[in-house]
Amino acid sequence: MKRNVCVVGVGHADGPYATGLQPNALIAQGFTRALADAGLRKDQVDGLASAGHSGMHEVAVAEYLGIRPAWLDSTSCGGSSFEFHAQHAYRAIEAGDVDVVAICYGSNLLSASGRTLGTGGGGGQRGMQPPGPMKYEFPTGLTLVGAYAMAANRHMHEYGTTPDQLASIAVQMREHASRNTNAMYRTPLTVDDVLESRLVADPLHKLDCCVISDGGVCVILAAEHIAAGLRWSTKPVYVRGGSGGTTHHSVQGMSDMTTTAAVIAGKRAFETAGIVPSDVDVFCSYDSFTYTVLVTLEDLGFAPKGEGGPFVAEGNLRLGGALPTNPDGGGLSCTHPGMRGLFLLAEATRQLRNDAGESQVQGAETAVCNGSGGWLSTQGTVVLGTQSR
Amino acid sequence: MAEHPGHSGTRDAEPMSGNWNENPPWVVPVPTDEDREFFEGASRGELRIQRCDECGLHQHYPRYLCSHCGSTEVKWVTASGVGTVYSFTVIRQNGVPPFRERLPFVVAAVDLEETGARLVASMPGADPAQVAIGMQVRATFRSVGEGIGLVDFA
Ligand SMILES: [Zn+2]
Repeated sequence: MKRNVCVVGVGHADGPYATGLQPNALIAQGFTRALADAGLRKDQVDGLASAGHSGMHEVAVAEYLGIRPAWLDSTSCGGSSFEFHAQHAYRAIEAGDVDVVAICYGSNLLSASGRTLGTGGGGGQRGMQPPGPMKYEFPTGLTLVGAYAMAANRHMHEYGTTPDQLASIAVQMREHASRNTNAMYRTPLTVDDVLESRLVADPLHKLDCCVISDGGVCVILAAEHIAAGLRWSTKPVYVRGGSGGTTHHSVQGMSDMTTTAAVIAGKRAFETAGIVPSDVDVFCSYDSFTYTVLVTLEDLGFAPKGEGGPFVAEGNLRLGGALPTNPDGGGLSCTHPGMRGLFLLAEATRQLRNDAGESQVQGAETAVCNGSGGWLSTQGTVVLGTQSR
Repeated sequence: MAEHPGHSGTRDAEPMSGNWNENPPWVVPVPTDEDREFFEGASRGELRIQRCDECGLHQHYPRYLCSHCGSTEVKWVTASGVGTVYSFTVIRQNGVPPFRERLPFVVAAVDLEETGARLVASMPGADPAQVAIGMQVRATFRSVGEGIGLVDFA
């Protein structure tokens, strides 16, 4: 018989500034805090998922944490990796292969590298050959921001989307961050502030781009019978469905720059969960750039294709709007230590537990997390809810 | 700020800067047996892409199979060099030399007239204000090493 799967623990590492803490220490902070949040001991964790930037990353994490999991997932497809982990863990727990899976992430990107992500010349770094198809893009001087900018420019061309509309996304995320004492930037913004910030790659301005921070987070999933004996048993959060997909690696391979794999991932995730877009109370969107929010909310069916611009400009991403998005302030204002996907699951859980204080979306029962990785290359969608399927 | 800064098409003309002939080792591709024909072709002024015998579509970059239909009957052909700008951006921040010294510059995704092939390439001579989606462009070639060329568009 299929088992229901719950989010039982969430723990954030220090951030957005965590000088002196190595990535594995940030992972351990998140892990121990998530165990405490759940009311679990570490020897009860029999599954581990993590994504980093080296081979056998998750194995090194297991050793560091002092656990010997029987189930591993090292899917590493950029910022959306953790939505893939959640979906894989959900199926494995549902099937009875594993009982308790910790999904872990930690990065000291800001302390280690400064604010260079996205403008350091695409996929390559000085002194090394870029991987895969980046071999053809790196010599052009295209940056990561530039790749997203190119996609945004095409959307503007096809649908009349404007820089003001994109900017309104950053404004709404900052409004949310202003309520969050853990957010990196909290001073309210206007659309003009965004448009007057310097252009990094047309049409994207500095304030259309996510922050660079340190940080980490751990989300623990468990079978329902285990969740029933744990700390949040009276406010369970269920994983209701998930899916993922990829359309390309580098942006050169993105045949339609106005559509992502979220079209497929979202459709499958929503079908598994038994929901439609209008059921969604909270949207946790990977806002690496303002355009990422716009294109993925269209792809998931929250607005018709091409109408994302007017939809966001109407203020629908605000608390109280039609689609409250990233109540914590998102990657654009709260935290982004290189890969943000796992923070989406943490924030969705906080909302569904009705534990978000001033950032709470009132009456939130269904949340959708959509992680985006690479150059809009990979999309992972996970549906969480206060009710089981 | 009177100028609406979002779309490069509305910006004033900006002169191109930087030395496009300066290519330190970290920006020079290292050819492999699979892609040498592309880089060598560019060094002698030819845009070499692959055409599939099975479906007739083209592809860039070179691969063992046709990325459209899966056939392994892919052959090298020389493209006309004529293409259309599918999209583009103006890079205004890049911390890596020599790109840092070239700012701002245009990078475009160009659909070749040989259906199925798209390149992301620099447009070194282009005034950002004069570049538009849908405009026709033509390949130019830039040597960056012995037998290694890059394809640009103008
Ligand atoms: Zn073919």
